Amino acid sequence: MRPNAATVPSSEPGLLLNNAQLRSALPLVSVRGLQVSYDQKKPVKVLDGVDLDLFRGEVVSLLGASGSGKSTLMKSLTGFAPVSAGTVRVAGHDVLNLRRGELRQLRSEVGQVFQQFNLIPRLSVLSNVLTGALHEAGAINLVGGFSSAHRRYAMELLDRVGIAHKARDQARSLSGGQQQRVAIARALMQRPRLILADEPVASLDPKLADSVLQLLRDIAVQDGIPVLVSLHVVPMALAHSDRIVGLRQGKMLVSGASNQLTAESLSGIYELGDHDGN
Amino acid sequence: MGTETESRSVAGSEISANDRTRLERAFSIPRGRFLLGIPVALLILLWSAGGVGFDFLKLGQGSLNMVDFLGRLIPPDFSKISTILELLLETLQMAIVGTVLGVVFSLLMAFCSASNIAPSWLYYPSRWVMNVIRAVPDLVFALMFVSAVGLGPFAGILAMTLGSVGSIGKIFAEAMEAVDKGPVVAMQAVGASKRQVVQYGILPQAAAPLVSYTLLLFEGNVRGATILGLVGAGGIGLELTTAMRMYDYGHLSAIIICIIVLVTIIDQGSALIRRRIT
Repeated sequence: MRPNAATVPSSEPGLLLNNAQLRSALPLVSVRGLQVSYDQKKPVKVLDGVDLDLFRGEVVSLLGASGSGKSTLMKSLTGFAPVSAGTVRVAGHDVLNLRRGELRQLRSEVGQVFQQFNLIPRLSVLSNVLTGALHEAGAINLVGGFSSAHRRYAMELLDRVGIAHKARDQARSLSGGQQQRVAIARALMQRPRLILADEPVASLDPKLADSVLQLLRDIAVQDGIPVLVSLHVVPMALAHSDRIVGLRQGKMLVSGASNQLTAESLSGIYELGDHDGN
Repeated sequence: MGTETESRSVAGSEISANDRTRLERAFSIPRGRFLLGIPVALLILLWSAGGVGFDFLKLGQGSLNMVDFLGRLIPPDFSKISTILELLLETLQMAIVGTVLGVVFSLLMAFCSASNIAPSWLYYPSRWVMNVIRAVPDLVFALMFVSAVGLGPFAGILAMTLGSVGSIGKIFAEAMEAVDKGPVVAMQAVGASKRQVVQYGILPQAAAPLVSYTLLLFEGNVRGATILGLVGAGGIGLELTTAMRMYDYGHLSAIIICIIVLVTIIDQGSALIRRRIT
């Protein structure tokens, strides 16, 4: 069984799209004038007037200090944040106007990778990957049964992330880097149209972090799945992404191709402001 | 120094000089409410002890009677060992059936009364029902079921089942509420249904405490089954009471020894299982 990978609209599959090709394609994600406020009584908005486009096959890094709204922006894309204004379109879904069932369908199409991996610690690595197919499993998984096709595909994914030899091990017995690879395999098991990675390397050492980001980049390039990844380390973002979006106090401060940005040009994102750190 | 430290503080994180001095003191003076709390607690203890006629002098005088009673238990009389073993087996069977039924109903109640699973319209009535069940002693349930289904172990099992729901249902619910939210968030993120979130995000994490509490319930039910027999609800309790009423101390002693052996074996067995699963 192969993933329903969106093909990269390029004459040379497997290669990174250039800017012109990216712009000519329709964005898979389109956010306009996004406003989010967790407490309607307070005037402070977590996100205020954010615009974002994501195209197939690209890796976009979100940079910003803690509390700048990176995680909230990601949550907004899957209907987990209280959006007060704006529009959010993801893979053809109007996210802000979805019913519960439609929201579940959208979420099943978006793979998510978390800082703390969020694996089920006592379950095996294979079972954890299989949970990515829960939306397809239906009633059969009442007793934990996934089809052979699901299992074969899960093993293929574990091969891909280089951890098939640990398939039987409990997830909790794995190192941080290995757990994050399992989490990426779980996200791929969803046959996602988009991958959101919220600080996926914040708990990893630099070498492991580099390998995980490289894996995400390979997925974007080979499968044409756009990856939105939030990071704290500017050089990592410059090295592993096509574009960088910088947030500060909920507002978009920087947006541009990573090869046109420098660490200096991004330093303004981390300057302390009135609300930073709150 | 204080001024220097304050000048280095991040905006919004300043602490008053008094608070800082207090926190930096090697020995802290107990707060007023703590000093007031001790005599109040002592007064409540003395009031309670007076109310129930607790008297160390009387305990000293009574200890002679206790020694006399214990002396009459020696030597134990194992002449009716076959009867004892038969009733002990019935007690064990009652505990097994009562525990299994109790766990099944407790799990159902726990799903209804875990705040991270049940909606509030179900959560509050379920908690209330369990509080009511817990407030009623098992002996009352036993009397109720003896009058309903007649003397014998069946009434005991029903009483034990109902008592279990009150005691363990709340603990099961709390074990489910205490799970790490990460895997739950991950399951919601893959588009899992509510049932799937519980099945994969909550139950595998709560499994170890649930099994542990089940074993504790079983141990408690074995002990409890001996008490239920006192009101004719089957098990060895009735034989125990009869031996006491007939002043058959040798037989009484043999029954007590057999109960101690059974309870010890079960305690050791369940401790072994608990060590394996945690």
